[in-house]
Amino acid sequence: MDELLLSKVRLGVVAELLNFDWVAFSELVRALDVSNGNLGAHMSKLVDAGYVEEQKSFVNRRPLTRYRLTKRGRDAFASHVSELQALLKEAT
Amino acid sequence: MDRIDAAQARDHIEMIDRILAESQPRLWAGGEFFVIWGTAAAYITILFQLVNVGVVGSATLWSVPFVIAGCTVYSIVRGRAMQSGIARTSLVQREFFNVLWLTLGLAFVVNVAAFRLFPGIAGAAIWSVAQAIVLLYIGIHGNRRAQIAGILVVASLVVANFVAPSLSAYVLAAGMLAGYTGFGVSELLSRD
Repeated sequence: MDELLLSKVRLGVVAELLNFDWVAFSELVRALDVSNGNLGAHMSKLVDAGYVEEQKSFVNRRPLTRYRLTKRGRDAFASHVSELQALLKEAT
Repeated sequence: MDRIDAAQARDHIEMIDRILAESQPRLWAGGEFFVIWGTAAAYITILFQLVNVGVVGSATLWSVPFVIAGCTVYSIVRGRAMQSGIARTSLVQREFFNVLWLTLGLAFVVNVAAFRLFPGIAGAAIWSVAQAIVLLYIGIHGNRRAQIAGILVVASLVVANFVAPSLSAYVLAAGMLAGYTGFGVSELLSRD
């Protein structure tokens, strides 16, 4: 199993990014119902692993941080989900 | 955390299913682009027809490059401003903009560089085909108004083929206004 995606928050982030090109940090906080600090730490790990790409910009003088899934992240998610499903199948 | 048990795996799978079910991206078409390009295309089509029949002088055709340049600049500036401020941009959305620019770009190239192959009214018809492709593409992603608008543009092409040649340009322009511009207006009116 993918060590990084064993965390429910990080797995949730990748699932949230799956159908989207770019998603704002604030949107991820709202969707996953986590604190800014908590999500920030998880995002750093995903960015460092190359699973997620980060884009920082300013909109109306306010900072906007957005993320999108990389091919590496997408592949890792797909194989992780396959393994989760295999584990479930084994158990039943 | 090295391993997880079956109960945790089920919990994770259920969370993924819930997130994917809730995050079905809806295609956002951006009404203003349709309003300006539909109106510009109709204006150019009618202008060429009026010049052909001698109602207005050929000097008025100089307005065409300015209209196209104005629409292009507006689209790029507005598109960039919107793109940078959007909290979520879906993959479907990105694909839509690719289809939009490729289709209209090809129609533009055909009009400018292949005008001997598509002379006169054929140039306007190419624009109608491009507009119909864009509208029907939005339509297949579940937008009923785009489906109707696309059908209107296609219908205008068929009708323009059978009416008197002097009326073809007006029929195509009506299709552009009713289909392309009309769809843009309806999108703007339905915006939250």
